[in-house]
Parts: sequence; structure tokens; C-alpha cells
Amino acid sequence: MKRVLVVLSVVALLMGVASAMASAVGKLKSLDVDESNEARQRGAETVISACMMCHSLKYVKFMDLADIGMSKEQIEYLLEDQKIEDRMLSLMPMEIREESYGKVPPDLSLITIARKKGPQYVYTLLTDYYYQEDGETNNYLFEGIKMPDVLAYADAESDQERADIEAQMRDVVSFLKWAADPHSDERRSLGVYVIIYLVIFTTLLYLLKRRIWSRLH
Amino acid sequence: MLKKAFSWVDERFPLSEVIKHELTEYPVPRNLNYMWNFGFLAMFVLIVQLVSGIFLAMHYKADVNMAFDSIQHIMRDVNYGWLIRYLHSTGASAFFVVVFIHIGRTLYYGSYRRPRELLWWTGLLLWFLLMATAFMGYLLPWGQMSYWGAQVITSLFGTTPVFGEEIVRWLRGDFVVGDATLTRFFALHYLFPFIISAAVVIHLVALHWVKSSNPSGITLRAKDNIPFHPYFTIKDMFGVGVFLIVFCGFVFFNPEFWIEADNNIAANPMSTPAHIVPEWYFLPFYAILRSIPDALGGVITMFMAVAIFAILPWLDRSNIPGGALFRPGYRIMVYVFFVDVLVLSYVGAKPPEGSFVIIGQIATLIYFGLFLLLPFVSSHEARRSREKGLPHEAERLIREEQEDLLRREHGVRRKGDEERLGQTDKGFQGEER
Repeated sequence: MKRVLVVLSVVALLMGVASAMASAVGKLKSLDVDESNEARQRGAETVISACMMCHSLKYVKFMDLADIGMSKEQIEYLLEDQKIEDRMLSLMPMEIREESYGKVPPDLSLITIARKKGPQYVYTLLTDYYYQEDGETNNYLFEGIKMPDVLAYADAESDQERADIEAQMRDVVSFLKWAADPHSDERRSLGVYVIIYLVIFTTLLYLLKRRIWSRLH
Repeated sequence: MLKKAFSWVDERFPLSEVIKHELTEYPVPRNLNYMWNFGFLAMFVLIVQLVSGIFLAMHYKADVNMAFDSIQHIMRDVNYGWLIRYLHSTGASAFFVVVFIHIGRTLYYGSYRRPRELLWWTGLLLWFLLMATAFMGYLLPWGQMSYWGAQVITSLFGTTPVFGEEIVRWLRGDFVVGDATLTRFFALHYLFPFIISAAVVIHLVALHWVKSSNPSGITLRAKDNIPFHPYFTIKDMFGVGVFLIVFCGFVFFNPEFWIEADNNIAANPMSTPAHIVPEWYFLPFYAILRSIPDALGGVITMFMAVAIFAILPWLDRSNIPGGALFRPGYRIMVYVFFVDVLVLSYVGAKPPEGSFVIIGQIATLIYFGLFLLLPFVSSHEARRSREKGLPHEAERLIREEQEDLLRREHGVRRKGDEERLGQTDKGFQGEER
């Protein structure tokens, strides 16, 4: 039986490697998401001032931003006509958005878990804009995308400028990742205690098992 | 006081008797390895799913306009809602992992063989019910994969000759998957676990009648059996501990691993996902379905792939006891089968293009070919093994089993004689008086 397990795990491993290689072809840029509240706050500012022109985050309320360490005043400073207890909805009327882009731009609350390798996908998409020969912008990852190059990445002239925009995009991803999974910090910190408890508990069970089975000879 | 309470109950209900018969004096072969932990684990996961599911149902709304939002309500606003929901979504996959290992163990060690055919059948029934429950549960989050998966799977029934369309409409309650489908799937998804629980009881009754098999596949002597409690209660609890470490690792650190990204997009009947894939536990059967070019043929083949397990005890014609341990030919077939199922899963996850079509068809052929070859391989192998002689250990175990059987038969005959004697004795006494 042990041999079976070895064979099976080798096969599973090979399949994993194969699928990992296949998805690497998907040309996503690698990104280690900064999950600090500072990054999330910076991202929130960009998302509210730029992305929310057209996109909504309907599952998040403005006051939820308190969970990433923003004070009531800081949040209210970012608002226009909205109230702090409102959901994060775009102020642009739905019809206008639909007219401009052919469809209502997708809600961003869950975007980082609604795509495979979501954070990398969003980051790559935002930094993959380029100028076509006819002077229009396009996107390597999403050919023919309707979304304009909001932060003017394709316009960046120096490496420094590009690096600045990339840093801003990374913060956007940090915020969106939190928005999709707002209990992630709590979940992971609780998880550490749960696993420690289980390891101790299981070790005790193992010792007890050995003790009980030692009665047999 | 406790003793008094027990004796009060015992006068009215066989409590002590049940504990004695099913736990403290229930004989279990002492040579079971950790592969025998997975039945108990399956029951444990069933309980996790029942409890977390009932709490989810308190906050979930089975309505096409509210279902997806209500999941986010659970994830964000309900106290520890994220924990309940991730336990349930991870638990669904864990259930199949555990059940597949349980079935794999049964195949490897030949536990399905005489006299455990009915135990095997009740197990297959449980697997079937589990698949139905999981399929219906997957619709409830009302994501893109929920919707399109249900659309595809229910439409399979449309291939039924003559009544196809009627059956599909009857299943969906509508012409397309919609509100009627969602509400009935919710109702049934809540009902089925209780049917599963009842089927588990039947599975256990069958088990306790024929008792556990063991790695050798040979009935052990009385002294090589040990009581279930405390030996296997503690061993199973240790297994639960190890299981929980892995399970909670996923729940707390990578819960989205088991959730298809497309299912985090609300269902949209107007936009078909680029590539509809069922949950991973259906992939081998999905691959088999797609490997047959004809629609009806594909559906029949897919159902055959599950149903064929039912006749396995009769396809195995060996008279060497047990599974792969003393049977090299059978062992190779089981290895090939396991690898073949993995290949089918891989193909099922890929779009049906290019070489995947051919690989899927070959793997399907191997899948059924193994079942069809089994009668010939097993009888040929048995003959050869008898000629060459079985391994020493097997010979010893079989001899002991036969001695034991003889002794028991002798004992039964003696007992029968005594009883008969006792009756005639009494008869005489009666006449004399």
C-alpha cells in the first residue's frame, strides 16, 4: 500500500508541475501582495478616487475601511456625496457607464478571487497597457479591453515614472484583496492557534493510543 | 447512582447490551492499518457537514436574486460566518477525498469480496447519494459554475429517449435552471444528508454482521481480534486529529483552493464561461462522458462507470483470499486503475481538444477494460498461485482459518446435540411426573 501511495503522489506531483507550467504561459506578472494596512489604505484612496469613477464594490461599506485602520475623519475625507454607512457604489449612473463601455463595468468586491491567480491577474492587467500604432491604448493581457488606461501607464516616459505607477497598482491590489476577503487577517491569526492546539491534541492522542495498544502483546 | 440509572434503562432498552455488542466486545482484526481509518473519518466529515450546513441554512436565502448576496452576507456580516462557510465548502471536498481513499482501500485489499457484497453495495449507494447531495449543494451559491454546471448536468438527462425533454423540465422545474431549480435543490440538499445518515446506519449494520476485513483478506482467529473499544476508538480519534490538522490548514490558510474562481462571479444566464468544469470529484466521470462522441452513449457510459462497481465481487473470480497482498496480477491492475483515474481527472479538467480527446478515450478504454479483464486475470492468477504455492504467511492464515471453522462447526454441533438432549431429557421427566 505504501508503494501505491508513493506512485500516486509522484503522479500527482508531475501533474501539478505540468499544470503550473501551463499556467505560467498565461504571462501573468509575479506579485507578492503586501498585506499591511498601510498598503491597503493607500490602495483604498486610489480605488475610491480613480476606479470608483466607473466600478463599484457593492459588498463593502465605507465604514468597513475602519477595519484597515482608517479613522472616521480619514474615511469621510475621501467621500463626495456618499455617507459613511453607504456601500461603496460608483456615483456615475449605471446607464452612462453602460453606454460608455457597452456593459456595466464589473463589481470589484470579489475580483481578486473571481479570477485564477486574481491578485497577479489584476496587477498584470493594470500594468499591461501600451500604445497601438493608431494612437489608441490596448492591453497585452486583455486585447481590446474597454477600460481606459486610467493611471496613464502607457504614457509613462521614464522607468521611475513606471515604477511609481506600478507601486500604486500594487497597493490597489492589496486593497482589493482585502475587500474580497476582509476576515483574512483574523482567519490566519486564529488559524495559527487552531493548528497549534490540534498538533498538541493529536500528539496526546497518539501517545494515548500507543499506551492503550501496548496492553496487547 | 449511575449503576441504578443504567439498570433502570436496561430493563426497558438494551443499552448495556448494545454498548457491549457494538463497542466493548465488538471484534476487530488487530492487523488493520491506517487505511482502515477512513470509514470513521467519512462519518466525522458527515457530522461536520451536517452541523455547518444547518448553521448556513439559517442565513442563506434560496432565491435567484438573493442567493449570491446572502453568501457574501454570511462571509462578511455573520459572526464567524466565514468559518462556517469555509468549513462547509472545504468539507465537501474533504468528504470526497476521504471517501475515495475509503473506496481505494476496499479495492486494494479486496474488501468487497464474499461475504461483504451487501456491505459493498450499501457503500456504493452512499457514494451515489453523496454525489447527488454535492451536486445539488454546488448550485446553491448561485455562481457562474453553479449555474452552468447545473445547466450542463441536468441537460444530460435530455438524452433519454422519448421522455428526455420532460425529464429535464421535471428536474429543473422550469425550461432553464432558475428559481424553481434553486429552491428544490436547496430543499433536497437539506433532506439528503438525513437519508445519507440512515444509509450509514444500514452500512454499519451490514459491517457489524460480517465484521471488518483486514489486509490479509483472511478471517483471523478469535485471539487475533481485539475489541473495538478502546483500541479502535483511540486509533480513530488519532486519525481524526491528523485529518483535522490538514483540514484546518486549508480552512484557515487556503480556503479558496477548493473553490473555482468563476464561482465567485454571480450566475449570469447571458454569459457562458469560457470553459465549464465540474467539481474535481466528478472529473473522471466527466472525462468518460466526453470521450464518447455520441451524447446518449456518453451518458450511459458515464453511469456505467459508477454502476460497474456493483458487479465487482462477481467479476473477481479468484479463490485466493483478499486483495492485492497475495495476488500480484490483481495488484498491478489496481495500480493501473488508480493511475488511470488520475489521468481521467486530468483530462476532465482540460478542454476537449487535440491530444486530450485521444488520451481520454484511451483512459476510458483502460477503465472498462480492467473490469472486463478481471474475471480472466483473477482465475488465471489463482490457478498459477495454487500451482506455485502461496506465500508462507498466507498458507498459515488459511490453515488457521480452516481449523477455526472446523472447531466452530464442531462446537455448534455439540451445542445442538446438548440442546436436543436437554429437551428429550425434560420430555422424559414430564412423562414420569
